Amino acid sequence: MSGNDPIPPHQIAWVFDLNKCSGCQTCSVACKVHWNAESDTDAMWWCTVNTQPGRGTPRDYEEMGGGYDSAGNLRLGQLPTLEEFGGAWDFNWKEVYYGGKGRETFLGPTNGGPSWGMNWDEDQGAGEYPNAYFFYLPRLCNHCSRPACLDACPEQAIYKRPSDGLVLRDEARCEGHQQCMRGCPYKKIYFNAQRGVAQHCIGCFPRLEKGVAPACVRQCPGRGVFIGFLDDADSAVHRLVEDWRVALPLHPEWNTRPNVFYVPPLSPFKLREDRSVDESERRLPISYLESLFGTEVRGALHTLEGELARRKRGEPSELLDTLIAYEWKELLGPFSADPAEIAWD
Amino acid sequence: MDATSLVQSYERARTESPHAASEDHYRQQWRWDRTARGTHCIDCYPGNCPMRVYVRDGVVVREEPSGDIPVIEPGVPDANPMGCQKGACWSQTLNGEDRVRHPLRRVGERGEGRWERVGWDEAITEVADAMLDAIEDKGPQSIVNMVGAELGTWGLVGFVRLITKLGGVSTDVNAEINDFSPGIYLTLGKFNVCSSLDDFFHGELFLIFQCNPIYTMTASHHYTVEARYNGAELVMFAPDASPSTQFADYHLPVRTGTDAAWALAMCKVIIDEGIYNADFVAEQTDLPLLVRTDTAHFLRAEDLEEGGGAEQFYLFDERTRRVVPAPRETLALGDVSPALEGSHEVTLKGGERVTVTPVFARLREHLENFTPEQASRICGVHPDAIRMVARKVASKRTYVIGGGTSFKYFHGDLMVRSSMLLLALTGNWGRKGTGNGAWSTGMFDGLMLFPRKERAGAEHTREILALQDQVRAAVRAEDPTLTDEMTRIELAARLGPNAGMTPPAFLWYRHCGYAENWNRAEWNDPSMKRPFDDYMREAMEKGWWDGVDQPAEDVPPRVLFNLGGNTLRRVRGGQNMLLEHLWPKLDKVVTLDWRMSTTALFSDVVLPVTNQYETPRFHIPSPHTLVLNYCDRAAEPAGEAKSEWEISLLLARKLAERAAARGLDSYLDATGAPRQLSTLPDAFTLGGEIVTEEQACEEMLQDTVLAGTIPADTDLAAMREKGYVRFIDWGVSPYGVNMASDLRPDETMNHSRWHTEKKLPYPTLTRRAQFYLDHPWFLEAGEAFPTHKENPKMGGDHPFVLTSGHNRWSIHSINITNRLLLHTHRGRPHAVINTGDARERGIEDGDEIRVWNDMGEFFVPAKVAPNVMPGQVIVYNGWEPYMFRGWRGPMDLEPGMVKWLHLAGGYGHLRYWPLQWQPTPIDRAIRIDIERANSLP
Repeated sequence: MSGNDPIPPHQIAWVFDLNKCSGCQTCSVACKVHWNAESDTDAMWWCTVNTQPGRGTPRDYEEMGGGYDSAGNLRLGQLPTLEEFGGAWDFNWKEVYYGGKGRETFLGPTNGGPSWGMNWDEDQGAGEYPNAYFFYLPRLCNHCSRPACLDACPEQAIYKRPSDGLVLRDEARCEGHQQCMRGCPYKKIYFNAQRGVAQHCIGCFPRLEKGVAPACVRQCPGRGVFIGFLDDADSAVHRLVEDWRVALPLHPEWNTRPNVFYVPPLSPFKLREDRSVDESERRLPISYLESLFGTEVRGALHTLEGELARRKRGEPSELLDTLIAYEWKELLGPFSADPAEIAWD
Repeated sequence: MDATSLVQSYERARTESPHAASEDHYRQQWRWDRTARGTHCIDCYPGNCPMRVYVRDGVVVREEPSGDIPVIEPGVPDANPMGCQKGACWSQTLNGEDRVRHPLRRVGERGEGRWERVGWDEAITEVADAMLDAIEDKGPQSIVNMVGAELGTWGLVGFVRLITKLGGVSTDVNAEINDFSPGIYLTLGKFNVCSSLDDFFHGELFLIFQCNPIYTMTASHHYTVEARYNGAELVMFAPDASPSTQFADYHLPVRTGTDAAWALAMCKVIIDEGIYNADFVAEQTDLPLLVRTDTAHFLRAEDLEEGGGAEQFYLFDERTRRVVPAPRETLALGDVSPALEGSHEVTLKGGERVTVTPVFARLREHLENFTPEQASRICGVHPDAIRMVARKVASKRTYVIGGGTSFKYFHGDLMVRSSMLLLALTGNWGRKGTGNGAWSTGMFDGLMLFPRKERAGAEHTREILALQDQVRAAVRAEDPTLTDEMTRIELAARLGPNAGMTPPAFLWYRHCGYAENWNRAEWNDPSMKRPFDDYMREAMEKGWWDGVDQPAEDVPPRVLFNLGGNTLRRVRGGQNMLLEHLWPKLDKVVTLDWRMSTTALFSDVVLPVTNQYETPRFHIPSPHTLVLNYCDRAAEPAGEAKSEWEISLLLARKLAERAAARGLDSYLDATGAPRQLSTLPDAFTLGGEIVTEEQACEEMLQDTVLAGTIPADTDLAAMREKGYVRFIDWGVSPYGVNMASDLRPDETMNHSRWHTEKKLPYPTLTRRAQFYLDHPWFLEAGEAFPTHKENPKMGGDHPFVLTSGHNRWSIHSINITNRLLLHTHRGRPHAVINTGDARERGIEDGDEIRVWNDMGEFFVPAKVAPNVMPGQVIVYNGWEPYMFRGWRGPMDLEPGMVKWLHLAGGYGHLRYWPLQWQPTPIDRAIRIDIERANSLP
């Protein structure tokens, strides 16, 4: 924790199981419909899912810098450009439908010559056919325990809530300097030009406050996201992160101590040149996973594979039972309230 | 922390926060005035995601899965939260830029995009007059309703019912959308078997082929992942390392369209190693039935005795060493121990001695051509991998997830029959965690009964149900060996055109220019010995399609309705075939849609229909989910939109009014029966009793209660409150009973358990799962057994194959122009090509390429990726043609071939009943070439 803010007693955390994430973007869309559905916020996707390996969103964000060096000094990185975020396209619906031009025109983005978007390199990945590989990585604000955005803000507009550890911005204080966007190494902060403020995932705090899980969690049809308090030893997030150590933060070397964790992906076994199966190696190179999740990813995958082998032999596995989450509400931790049941005063 | 104290502590923190003002902005943004139950009642199959719709100031602001689906079977994950990205932003679709808000009349050329806004009365009058002209000119069959997948509640009991009452033609939706599986049908006598999705959790092995489930099964994909965590293994067969590959343990790349080869080689391994399930094979399949070596036909009673039946088959009983009749009324073998091997002599009725052998022995010979090494040379899967997977199939509870793509290959039937053979040899259906699947509906019997009602109310429904029982009893009196399932199929088949739909193949062949393509020998399989026309003529002469071959040759379509879909996108060869051959014949093209589709753009009149959340309606139910899902009216319709129900009623009234004005009270339909126009509004509203959608909903619910598939206390108020109800029985239509399994409240539903447990026979010619078809056409073609055949060079001899599949971002084209979803991809169509192919042709990611074959060309940006098979080009379907330059897309390169064998009839189960046996057009693996587009049109 940087600055003088106390470490919050309760820290909320997300665990995304990448073996369940099918890249459908329901989390991204649910988030957007909640908070950024207006057309002047077309470019703003507080939650995104990208194909990995890939350049991500904003494009090549991993090269842009930010976070802390190993000595704990804040590093301001680049400010991503609108072009690097991409998207925010207008389309010529009216011209096509009612313009009287017939087949001389066709529907497509009309502004800016599209060169990138929130999911531009979807399903491209890497490797050589047939051993091509990829997986999906959902990303939102990491609600870090050492939030570089908070440190970077010259207006002290960003705060970490004591009640749940969410990193939020007081929009009345934000002056739109966009230093937070340079400080955040994950580049998950957007500038709302209409309102002159930077914005990022708010953890769906109005929902949390009513005991309802965030939209990205509650709407995930893959049942792939767990939420809960990291300090609650009984919670699934605690067990996966602290006990089983199968859920890891993205780019721990950026030193912001994220509170979004990922169960690393398995992948099919490799094929040899003659197309026979090599069961000693999976397609996703471990070196690539290490570049994302650090060296601990080896141990996490080892644990996961070990438990899978046990289960295949018909033995019980507490870890796999947790990941299966027989009842959906197991994923939601204390946030299992049904929003439709809320009676507003 | 318990929920109450959590909320209380948040409440304390909120009041103490120095940032309350900033936070309150978001708290306000999340609020709503009221909620309604909703779902997206389109044929997003299986769909049926129960949602809550949130309304603020009369506007739907968002929706969210209801999350209240209970645990069905303890120890099996529940289904929550069903949904996807399309459903998660349906609220944005309601008022999207593609929404049609007012009736429109074309003022420019068709497709030009010049319109005038007209009032409802004017629009309906114009349509009604065109229909009456057509009736007077060529008869009611010249009114054609091309039915798409999204016809929904009011499309079906509103518009299709109206067209049926007029004697017009509505095309069978399952052929329109290529979702009929001839391979499953040929084997089981029904294409539509499936299990509830949660049954996947019981599987130990999944073979996935012709399927990309993460795109197509967003809401249920979790079950295979959870099964994997439960110890199951996933094997993916696909040419490309498809997006779903990442969830598999094994990806075995298959050369496009060669899946039959690996499946048959696995069958050979299993037989050679003696690890097949001999009991299952002997009891459930036709493999023990005897076949004459001289004719290659089954040995039948008519061969052995005067007056013997053509549908009595024989086994060789090893216990008594005698040829015995195979029981037709049951699969149970009693004391008989059928031989699977050996040859025997029998004396025919004329005294001639012939040799007979069990199908199994012939199969063993047939499979000699499918050693793993030979198969590997065909399909590219390594022989060791074939052996490894075969042994797993033989020892594990196995599901074959054979996707809908298999229905769309020229020889998809052979692939599917081969995979079914693999399951049969290993006893892998009819027990939990095993089987295969297509899709089905049924159970919502009120929906099926409604078009047959003449009066409202329960009494009339009881009469209809009683009459139905009488007819079924009469059918069974003719043949007491018929099962309940078979009598229902018989009834469905006897309805003919009165069932409300007929196969579109004849419309395409006679009136849309397809005859020329279908007769092109070089685009067909070399084993088609005669021109296509010969087969068509024979099928007609033999009466195999009597009554459902509509419209007649001399009745050219005059008025075309497009309903629940996007004809010019959907129909293979779309613009090349339909715009060129059909459109010029049409006096009036009418589209009912809530969005501006390409088909709407080529229409004369566009009638705006209500969308989800704007009219009460139901989702088409599915045995995959086993619930009836309701979508309430949560907001006012956009602009002047009306439901298909309301539009149909307006049209019925207008037809009566305008007919009276021209003195046309009644006319004769194609069968010579009189049809009355003056009474049409009365007939439509069941004597004025059912006028609103709410009344129709209630009527259908009460009839469904009577049919026994939903609890007795279910009514519209309950549906409004609870949103969905789980079915308790299969009801009166064949489509539920086809699952042949008990529907239990606390267990997953696994198909075919009545066959394996109760020994009820299958509705096939042989009353068994049938792998040998001695129909003369199949014998001639060398397809008596499932085998491997190469894809014909459809579209010409070009080096690349074009494949497809459902896209991720839209259900068909419904969501493809949604602003928000357009931002979740590149905002334009794309073709995915292999990195090496791109390099060789100087194509870079994002470059526009020209794609062409003998049918035409289109231009599309390339997406370059290493996961695509070299030589393969993927254009996922669902793009609006108007998203391509010149509105030409992949659909215009597809010749829309059908496989000639699918016209076969006169053979047991080879006959039409709605959604079932019929030719469907092919689009996968057509031949194309590509180049970097150096100049763009």
